[in-house]
Amino acid sequence: MKKIQFLIICLLTITFSSCEKDDICEATTATTPKLIIEFYDILNPTVKKNVTNLAIKEINTTASLTFTGTSKIQIPLRTSQDLTQYSFILNSTDITIDNEDYLQFNYTRQNLFVSRACGFKTNFIFDSSAPFVKTETSIPDGYWIQNVVINTFNIATENETHVKIYF
Amino acid sequence: MKHMSKFTSSILLILTSFFVIGQTKKTDSIPTKIEKYGIRFGADISKIAQSFYDKNYKGIEFVGDYRVTKNYYLAGELGNENTTVEDDRLNFTTQGTYLKVGFDYNSYENWLDMRNMIYLGMRYGASTFSQTLNSYKLYNTSTYFPEAPSVISGEKYNGLTSQWIEVVLGLKAEILKNIYLGFSIRMNRLLTNTKPDNFDNLYIPGFNRTYNGDFGIGFNYSVSYFLPLYKTKSIKKSDKKKKK
Repeated sequence: MKKIQFLIICLLTITFSSCEKDDICEATTATTPKLIIEFYDILNPTVKKNVTNLAIKEINTTASLTFTGTSKIQIPLRTSQDLTQYSFILNSTDITIDNEDYLQFNYTRQNLFVSRACGFKTNFIFDSSAPFVKTETSIPDGYWIQNVVINTFNIATENETHVKIYF
Repeated sequence: MKHMSKFTSSILLILTSFFVIGQTKKTDSIPTKIEKYGIRFGADISKIAQSFYDKNYKGIEFVGDYRVTKNYYLAGELGNENTTVEDDRLNFTTQGTYLKVGFDYNSYENWLDMRNMIYLGMRYGASTFSQTLNSYKLYNTSTYFPEAPSVISGEKYNGLTSQWIEVVLGLKAEILKNIYLGFSIRMNRLLTNTKPDNFDNLYIPGFNRTYNGDFGIGFNYSVSYFLPLYKTKSIKKSDKKKKK
């Protein structure tokens, strides 16, 4: 009888010992996705093109994100409103050749539960009728962004390209 | 031949042992022990205490057991909890009622007519409850935008249920006549769990905080009163062993 009890205790301890740590939001957990933009050559639309000194600044934010020598970038979208307005400045380091275009992304948001440690995340769905609005700045220097194509309307992961920009 | 002798000698041994037992019964020299049987009922004082000092917690748990055999007790708990959990990224309120039923096995050998216990038990637990998501934060790996303030939700998820099993390890000691002080720790494992849509049961009344792997842990401090119903006389276990 005592032996059987001991065995039962052992078995239960084994089954109960499968606990996991859950108080740190791990970097591998999929949380709020960033917008993935890929740049292509307008003259050769199947070929990726690297940007040089591309500064991206949300119009109400002072800091800017700069990218150079890459054709694929990640930028965050606002999780508190249904649109994010960005200023895209190509060749931002040289004031003689720099060119600024405004690009506004329109979307709806979905807040989804992730875990105790991570809380919630926001997934975005591009507005089907007007996913983006491209506008010129006060300086009439023409658009450097020639064409914008929405590749994926549902922004749920960072594994795919959501927007393609041709220049 | 050797086997044969072993067989006969063992038969003889058994027979003589029967004789001895038979004789002891006749002589009536074994000290007897009075075993009282009855119901013990009480409440978890830790939950009552927490209800006073913790503004986010209101809870009560009634405990009870009934002595079925010398060492086995039918045991159970009935409780109600209302707790608000303020986590880093989430704030939610869980409200609900639970019931646990099972048994306790007393491994402590009492002398005289005491009913102190060092016990091991099991419970089946079930709870019906609701979750209210008060507010939450959105997790963003990008730090470009300042972190958005908590989103106020207030969404309530009703009609949730969970079932689980518990392994209980505890002790009970008689501190005054028929008044017992008890402590137990419990290891829980979820069997079924209906989760709300787009949220999770991070706390279940009776089960406590949930972890990723269906595992949980609990405890209680109880004060209970023993109501004796009937008595039996039993031969001391230690004496039985000696005679064998």
